[in-house]
Amino acid sequence: MPETSTRTDGAAGEAMELWRNWLTETERQWNSFFAEVMGRDSFGRVAGSYMEAYSVVQRALNQGMERYLNTFNLPTHSDVVELGERLHNIEERLATLEANLNNLASAAGIPTTAAVTQLRPRRTRRPRTSKNESK
Amino acid sequence: MATVRQPDVNRLLGAAQTEVQKNRQRIEKGLDILLAREEPPVGVTPKDVIYSRGTLRLYHYRPMTDEVYRVPVVFVMSLVSKPFILDLTFGQSFVQYMLAQGFDVFMVDWGIPRPEDKRLKLDDYVLDFMPRCLEQVQKATGEKEYSILGYCMGGQLALMYGGLNPEAPIANLVCAATPVDMEGMGLFRHFSDRRWFDVDRLVDAIGNIPPDFMLRSFEMLRPMDRWMSYVRLLDNLWDPVFVYGYRVMYKWTNEQIPFAGEAYRQMIRELMWENKLMKNTLTLDNRRVDTKAITCPVLNVMAEHDHIAPYAATRPLTSLVGSLDTEDVLLKGGHVSLVAGKNAVGRLWPKVAEWLGERSV
Repeated sequence: MPETSTRTDGAAGEAMELWRNWLTETERQWNSFFAEVMGRDSFGRVAGSYMEAYSVVQRALNQGMERYLNTFNLPTHSDVVELGERLHNIEERLATLEANLNNLASAAGIPTTAAVTQLRPRRTRRPRTSKNESK
Repeated sequence: MATVRQPDVNRLLGAAQTEVQKNRQRIEKGLDILLAREEPPVGVTPKDVIYSRGTLRLYHYRPMTDEVYRVPVVFVMSLVSKPFILDLTFGQSFVQYMLAQGFDVFMVDWGIPRPEDKRLKLDDYVLDFMPRCLEQVQKATGEKEYSILGYCMGGQLALMYGGLNPEAPIANLVCAATPVDMEGMGLFRHFSDRRWFDVDRLVDAIGNIPPDFMLRSFEMLRPMDRWMSYVRLLDNLWDPVFVYGYRVMYKWTNEQIPFAGEAYRQMIRELMWENKLMKNTLTLDNRRVDTKAITCPVLNVMAEHDHIAPYAATRPLTSLVGSLDTEDVLLKGGHVSLVAGKNAVGRLWPKVAEWLGERSV
C-alpha cells in the first residue's frame, strides 16, 4: 500500500509540475509575442498618436476646467499649485534658518544632532574574514 | 491468485482533509486580498528622519550592533518608486540585513512629487538635494567618508553626483540594476523613440508624469506578468508564506509614484535619446558630468533576467568610471528580485555586505 500511495502522490506532483512548467512556458511565449509586436515601428506610431491625443485632451480639459472654476470664483488647480509653491518657499526659508542656527550652535560648541543619533555605536568594526581570523 | 487491492480509507480521508484545509485557507487568504484585510507591514525597520525638505526625507536607521563599520552607507532610491522595496518587511529587508551585518545605514527617500514639484530637474536632485543629504550623514556620523548604494535610477543619480564632484569623499559606490547605456534599454527605448514620442508636449500638458503612466510603461515590457501572477497566486493561495510575499511585492509594484515633469523630460532627452551618460557628455547646470572622475571602488551588480534595466544597459557601468578597483557581478533574478525577496537574501545582500565590509573600515 505505501507503494501505491507514493505512486499516486508522485503522479499528482508530476501533474502539478507539468502544469507549472506549462504556465511558465506560456507566459514566456506570450511575453515574447507581445514584445515582438510592440517592438514594431507601427506599434510605436500608434502609441505615439495615443500619447499625443492624450496630451491634447488633457490640456483642453485643464483649460476648460480653469475657465469653469474661474467663472464660479473657485480656486483652480493652478491656484492650489501656486499656494503649494509658496508654502514650499516658506519651508525652504525655515530650513535655511534652521541650518544657519545649527551652524551657529555648532560653532558655539552646542550639540545639535538628534538624541538618538548621539547613541553612537563604536565605529571600529572589521570584516570577519578568514585572513583576520588567522591573524 | 492476484490479491485485490482495498482502497486505503485512512489515506483517502487524510487527502480529503488536506484539500478541505487548503481550500479553507484559499478562501480565507483570497478574502484577505480582495478586502485588503490585514495588509502586511512594509518599511518597518526603526528609523529617524534626520533631514527633510519638501517631500525629501533622509532616514537614519537605528543600528542593531554595538560596533559598526567606520564608513556609513547611504541608500539612494530611484525617483520612480517607493523606497520600501529596500526595507520590504520582516526578514525580507535589505536595510535590516545590512544593519545586522554592522553597517550604519541611511536612506534618501525622495518622497512623492507634488504638482508644484513638476519643475524639479535632475540638477536639483544631484546638485542640491544629494549634497545636502550627504552633509547631514557626515554630521550625524562624524565621519567624512560615506559609501553610496544606488538602486536603479538611484545608481544613475549617484554616478552623476560622483561625476560632478570629484572631490566628494565617496568611499565606495555600489550600483544595483543601474542602466547606463540606453541603447540597451530595449522596448523602453523603442516606446520613447523621438520619431513618435513627443516628451515636450506630454510634460507641457500634464506636468508630473502620473504614476499610472509609469506603471503601465513597466507592465508593457512584460504584459503577461500580471495575469500569470494572479494564476500563481490562485495556485498558492493556501500557502500563507507565498501569499504574504505576494502581497508585499504587489503593494510595492502598484504603489508607483509620479515622476517630476522636468526631470522626466531630461531623462528622455538627455539619457534615452542622446545617451549622454554613456557618452560622458551629460551636463547638469552647465557642468559636465565626468564619470571618469569617479575613482573610488565601484561594485556593479546586475540581474540576469532584468527586463527593466537589461544586462546590455547595465554592463558598461564600470567602464565609465576611472576607478581601478571595480567589480561586475551578474546574479540570477530580475530587476526587483535582485534586491528584495527570498532570492536576494542569499545572493545580493551577502555579496554587498562582504564587498562593502572590506572597504568600510
